[in-house]
Amino acid sequence: MSAVTDLLLTRYNYLAVVVLSGIGMYMMIENRNLVKKVIGMNVFQTAIFLFFITTAYVEGGAPAILESGGGGGGGPYVSPLPQVLILTAIVVGVSLTAVALALIVRIYAEYGTLDEEALREVTGE
Amino acid sequence: MIPTVAVTGTAPLTGVVAALLSGVGPASVEQLLATSANSPLPPLLVAVPLLVSIATLAVGYRFDRAAWSIAAIGAVLQVAIAGTLAWRVVTAGRVIHVLGGFVPPFGIVLVVDGLSALVALLIAVVTVGVLVYLRQAGPRGLGTTGDVFNMYVFLEITGLAAYALVASGDSGLAAVAALKYLMLGTVGASLFLLGVGYALIATGTLTMADLAVRLAEVGYQSTPVRAAFAFMTVGLGVKIALFPLHTWQPDAYSASPDGVSAFISALVSTVSAYALVRVVYSVFTVEFFAANPLARDLLLYGAALSVIAGSTLAVTQREVKRTLAYSSVSQFGLVAVGFALTNRAGLVGGIIHLLGHAVMKGSLFLAVGIIAIRTDARTIEEYAGLARRVPVASAAFAVLAFAMIGVPPAVGFVGKWYILLGAVEAGEPVVALVVVASTLLTLAYFARLIERMYFSPVTDSTGPAGTVADGGESSAGRDGRESESAVADGGSAGTDAATVDRNAEDTRDTRNDSDVEADTSAGADTDGDAGSAELDPVTDDPSGREVTAGMTAVVVLAAIVAVALGLLATELEALLRPTLEVLLS
Amino acid sequence: MIETGSLRPLGAVLVAALSIVGIVVFRARPNVREGWSVLGALGTVAVIASMVPGVLAGQAYVTDLGTFVPGVRFALRVDPLGLLFGLLASLLWVITTFYSIGYMRGLDEHAQTRYFAAFAASVAAAVGVAFARNLLVLFVFYELLTVATYPLVTHDETGEARAAGRKYLAYTFGGGVAVLAGTVLLYVLTGTTAFTPGGIAALAEADPVLARAVFALLLTGFGVKAALMPLHSWLPDAMVAPTPVSGLLHAVAVVKSGVFGIARVVLDVYGPGLMGDLGVGLPLAAIAAFTLLTASVIALRKDNLKRRLAYSTISQLSYIVLGLAILSPASMVGGLLHIPAHAFMKLTLFFCAGAIHVETHTDDISDMAGIGRRMPVTMLAFAVASAGMAGIPLVAGFVSKWYLLIGSVGSGQAIFAVVLLLSGVLNIAYFWPIVYQAFFETPEASDRKPLVESPLGGRYGDGPAATRADGGRPGDGRDEDPKGDRSESDRNDTAATETPLGSGTTRETDSEAAGETPPPETQDSPTETDAVQSEGEQAVDRYPSDHALPGDDRERDENTADSKNETAGPGEDRESSEHSTFHDHAYDEPHGPPAGGWEQRAFGEESSWFVLGPILTVVAGAVVLGIVPYWAIFLRVVELIVAGVTGTPRVVG
Repeated sequence: MSAVTDLLLTRYNYLAVVVLSGIGMYMMIENRNLVKKVIGMNVFQTAIFLFFITTAYVEGGAPAILESGGGGGGGPYVSPLPQVLILTAIVVGVSLTAVALALIVRIYAEYGTLDEEALREVTGE
Repeated sequence: MIPTVAVTGTAPLTGVVAALLSGVGPASVEQLLATSANSPLPPLLVAVPLLVSIATLAVGYRFDRAAWSIAAIGAVLQVAIAGTLAWRVVTAGRVIHVLGGFVPPFGIVLVVDGLSALVALLIAVVTVGVLVYLRQAGPRGLGTTGDVFNMYVFLEITGLAAYALVASGDSGLAAVAALKYLMLGTVGASLFLLGVGYALIATGTLTMADLAVRLAEVGYQSTPVRAAFAFMTVGLGVKIALFPLHTWQPDAYSASPDGVSAFISALVSTVSAYALVRVVYSVFTVEFFAANPLARDLLLYGAALSVIAGSTLAVTQREVKRTLAYSSVSQFGLVAVGFALTNRAGLVGGIIHLLGHAVMKGSLFLAVGIIAIRTDARTIEEYAGLARRVPVASAAFAVLAFAMIGVPPAVGFVGKWYILLGAVEAGEPVVALVVVASTLLTLAYFARLIERMYFSPVTDSTGPAGTVADGGESSAGRDGRESESAVADGGSAGTDAATVDRNAEDTRDTRNDSDVEADTSAGADTDGDAGSAELDPVTDDPSGREVTAGMTAVVVLAAIVAVALGLLATELEALLRPTLEVLLS
Repeated sequence: MIETGSLRPLGAVLVAALSIVGIVVFRARPNVREGWSVLGALGTVAVIASMVPGVLAGQAYVTDLGTFVPGVRFALRVDPLGLLFGLLASLLWVITTFYSIGYMRGLDEHAQTRYFAAFAASVAAAVGVAFARNLLVLFVFYELLTVATYPLVTHDETGEARAAGRKYLAYTFGGGVAVLAGTVLLYVLTGTTAFTPGGIAALAEADPVLARAVFALLLTGFGVKAALMPLHSWLPDAMVAPTPVSGLLHAVAVVKSGVFGIARVVLDVYGPGLMGDLGVGLPLAAIAAFTLLTASVIALRKDNLKRRLAYSTISQLSYIVLGLAILSPASMVGGLLHIPAHAFMKLTLFFCAGAIHVETHTDDISDMAGIGRRMPVTMLAFAVASAGMAGIPLVAGFVSKWYLLIGSVGSGQAIFAVVLLLSGVLNIAYFWPIVYQAFFETPEASDRKPLVESPLGGRYGDGPAATRADGGRPGDGRDEDPKGDRSESDRNDTAATETPLGSGTTRETDSEAAGETPPPETQDSPTETDAVQSEGEQAVDRYPSDHALPGDDRERDENTADSKNETAGPGEDRESSEHSTFHDHAYDEPHGPPAGGWEQRAFGEESSWFVLGPILTVVAGAVVLGIVPYWAIFLRVVELIVAGVTGTPRVVG
């Protein structure tokens, strides 16, 4: 009881990460539609982004922003580093998605299908 | 080291991307010449990073700071050129340069339009950025540089370029392979990122040097640290294409243009393997392995398995490029074995084999490209009798193949020697056995090719030569035997039935090729207005392309380098020594 | 021993290697190309010979090219043992080059440039093996030798040749891998791989189990090329190579590089003393003795001359290994002296086999009855060399066997003396019938060959294929023949319509079909057509005589043979041997004795002097080595080697 509850109550962010990445992975492997595979990939990436962001969260922490005139919260700040990183990672992720979608467009133009099985037959693998 | 690697990593990227976006079909040349501004800058855009990377390589091993300076100057120069070009493009529309004054179809015209200028500028800026960053992070340049997140970004950027390059192949297959590569590559990179996340949680820092210290403080046996290592290694394993994480690689290699295959095999996987060294030695250090023998064993035996599995799969392939691709799986396994041994000899061997493999495999792909342009041969069957038709490329191929097998004194042997020495010193008899056996495994797939190239009769459709061992064999029996790829007795098509059979096989083989051709012709229509379409310097269209003397020269030179590097192994090791001291301390 | 820095060891390798450049550059002009071959060979010999006096005076020449890998120098060093092998290989290369010219041109072989280039590369690598300063450098050249000989084995570009090449690569690279593993282990154990006369000192303190393992690995590796059983089976298959290759490489350079490696391991890595302490000498001797006898017995059963010679080589190589393994000074002298002795004798034998092939296209011993009339000088040389093989005095083989016998008896291992004597008897048993029938029998009245034919615990004709002197097999020339499949189907038709005795008529219908269509008696026997032949096996292998009739595949039927042969006739035999256009189709041509027996040829008319000259030179060398071994340098070198290893100044009285 206590272990599970404990996990659910205090580590729910990890749980979400695991679930999300599991969903993403599953979509990538199991789904036959290429676009949905890419969506799966995005979900998977998002899970990891989430992981970063939530680990940076500090209970009751303020954003690490100093306002002019020395204002702003004194107390604990949330770690700004992961947020910066993930901002970059999101950019990378978006560009990846763009490339992936461009490829899919091309594949569709070429073969007229986005179904993986059908594609496999067409390409003769 | 880092500036050198970074520049060598990014400079060809610039070059290739610029080239990738600049080739234009002959049809539109006159129109182009009429409408565009001429400028000497575009070739510089390609040449400068290459020259700079060579200069940094040459100088860098001795004078680390000088290397950085040269790299920085080169990168800045690159930015200046790219910037000027971009400006010209903005003002004048299109900038072209006719290389050497040779007008197509014989010459090369470099065309820079808005997109390619931007891409070139982007890469140049990124190069400078990386260099500037490195300057700040580690003045010594060696061992203390980089941060792991930047490594992720770097990997993904390299990856992005690689995906685009793979997709630049003419066939739809290339797009499919690129997508597969992209997905798996992204998963790999994401896993790496996850590992970085764990490291961040454990230590709160991302700088390599800092990480190494903090990780030790946290304790190598703590779960987050272990998880970080596991995720980072697996992520890189995908990028390197170690068995069983290699599945993207054969498709990507075989579907992409030959030049791109060479580039990916020589640089992208190599850079990933380089990242592995950094992660294992700079971030986690040798002590991590000492504290977690299981991690080391998993990496070591996984890599050893990769050696065997890669070779075995390579033997079963029919397409030459796929054979080479699986060969890479095997050879990178060998490299990873060297790294995982965590002793000096193993590490040196891994690095030497990494460099040697880049030279050898890259040029093997280029040789395959030349052969494909000349003869349209792509499968192992089609390689029969090639030595007479493409003598120079075949000879270079044979030399490189024997170098890869590990015939001394070529570089393939030296790397193997060090790794073997490391395995014996580390007391790993099984791994030593695998390393030793890898020679024979490599022989298995290369000897088959060399035998076909040099000692088999030509089997193209014009003259299926009949070498039938005994005149009295029934044709049915021969058909049965014919269906095997490697006919043990050399009896080949002699009767009509067998010829038909062969033709049927040929049809199957060339179906992909016909796809390629169809696509080329389709693509040519759309090229005219696009201007910056996906034409690549080395596409596999046999009809319209010529093998330049330069292409052959590069391959021949690479073959010589592959042998010479082996003789220079001591010097290489001497140059690596300072790095090794840092890595192994 | 005084070490002198000198570029000559490197020079010897480089001269041989650089001749490749000349050969390739002048590929369009055969005479200039062959000039380069000769020049390379002579240059190599000259460089090596210039070091002989110094080495005999106790000097060693060293070329040091710097560190190869840490702890291992890339250095060449000419010491007595290296000189023995290097001098031998280069000396015989000169002779073989001339012979090659006669042979290759006589048969109008394809890809001669590749052939000569690879030949030069092989010898360069062999010289490198000889002069290697340490085990790793030896390994480097050992592997290069493998690569360089591969194109020669597969020279014919037939399925059989490719199969032999595959086997060759697999075996020799497998051996190379074992050598590599052994070398690494040795390096880890002792920190060095340099050859030290009498053995590497640090090895004596190493773990005996590991030391034995290293020994086993090295022996396995070198044993492949030395054709120690059970690692020998590549050698008979490699006989598909042209005869000069079989002669120089597969009786001298390549196989002896294996033996040489064993000699290095025994003498300069372990040393006789440590070998005795580790107890590894006796097992090695036992393997050698087993190989020696078994190979002799197998040789008895081979009808193809080159195959018989190959098994004879396997057997004779084990003499050398046995001599080394017995570990007594006298036996070592015998073993080492057998390196040149066997080289001269076996080269003679192969040259003779090649001459017979070039002139008469006869490869099977059973076809050679009375051939002494046709080729008197050749067969005389053959007789002398085979006498030497059996150990009859006045020929080289006697001297080395004498030392071997003294050594084995003197060291109390008389059992090996018995083995040696028994092998001598077997040698006579498999060589004598060839000589006897050549001079004293005629095709009409000859005994069955080979002597032992019935299965000895195995099926007959176990070899993958009959080997012809040039490795030719049906239709190998047809590879380049654009009409290949047409003549192929013609031939099938022929085979289908043919009746066992109807060869005469079929030949007429056949003759206009295609110029290359083989004369019927070589191809068309219905037994060949319907026989379920194992892959790669040829009719020749199954039917030692191609005069054999269906249903009567072993017994000769002279009458039929004669009637069949009349269709071919002696005239055509002559013609085809003179007009080189037909020579690619060796198998298609009439072979075996022409009807009415071999014609009489006078001295000097039996073959070209490019072929005869080398034969006479080599056989003279074998005799000189047998009569005045000291004068011929080799024995002095050998005694120097053994003295250096054991410390005894004069080994035997």
